Amino acid sequence: MASQPRVTAPQQQTGNIVRDSALGLVPETLDKYMDLTRVIWEGGLLNPAEVEIARLRNARKVNCVFCKSVRYDIAVADGLTEEKVQMIDDDFQQTSLTDREKLILAFTDQYLNDPAGLGSELKEKLLQEFTPEELVHLSMAVAYFNGFSRCAVSLGGMPDELPVMQISVPQ
Amino acid sequence: MNWINGGTDRATTLASVPELAGTFKALYESFWTQPHIPGMTLELCRLRLAQLHNSDLEWARKDCEIGAGKREQLAGWSSCDGFTHAERACIEFTEIYAMDAQAITDDIAAAVKGHYGDAGLVALVEALGIFDGMTRLSLLWQLSAPDVAKNGGQGE
Repeated sequence: MASQPRVTAPQQQTGNIVRDSALGLVPETLDKYMDLTRVIWEGGLLNPAEVEIARLRNARKVNCVFCKSVRYDIAVADGLTEEKVQMIDDDFQQTSLTDREKLILAFTDQYLNDPAGLGSELKEKLLQEFTPEELVHLSMAVAYFNGFSRCAVSLGGMPDELPVMQISVPQ
Repeated sequence: MNWINGGTDRATTLASVPELAGTFKALYESFWTQPHIPGMTLELCRLRLAQLHNSDLEWARKDCEIGAGKREQLAGWSSCDGFTHAERACIEFTEIYAMDAQAITDDIAAAVKGHYGDAGLVALVEALGIFDGMTRLSLLWQLSAPDVAKNGGQGE
């Protein structure tokens, strides 16, 4: 992984971690990104802890060091614990995560590993557990997080390790 | 029709969550009007992703006119002289991105920057994230492609 950034972030810093990142170089898309981020976190279908479980699963699969180190404060306030975060690994099916949480991880893995290969068993379980609106929300959240983490990896400058840090949904 | 809510395409699938649909549409459309990298080049990259994912639905989609010739030649772009150096740099970047973003080298990124600068590279990776995401979701939602020609040779 490239440890040196491949682009130079905007010189003028605003204090907003997204606006001050390389994404700030494309102001034509930036506000739309921010709007979508807010809707994904605050849209009110899946709760923030559920969204965070999907985000962290993606982060670990993509190996985005920054994404792995972050905890969104609204997810922590919603009940996401570090004990639960530790369960978001490859043997999550054997953990004490709830069936609903395991289905979120299974859906995320399906998206990442084999989106064309969704089988009837997982499909039926998803339809029994989630409303159609929740499944659309989960779909878009996973796609958004995957795109964002791959963007971060592609642009380089990723350290080998970062401490866990809480952030707020950028406004 | 998808298995989630009966939607027949991306728009009708997303329509059940209007706020999400609206904000996503605004973001998606902004890629075709931003000034840092041409829409035609982004469309080539989007279509190349569709080929690599074997997505007939995304292959059939047209977000920006590129001409039938380039569509037909896209699967064999590396040995075809119908693409500019800038387009080649972006398509090559796209192919590595699709396989493993961690495998992108400084040289491959520099080739894109050489044509479109830092902002162009950022716009490209932002767009690829969205394009790849929508292609994966089309497959995951099991949306059917319209009855049109298949995706031109797929990934190689």
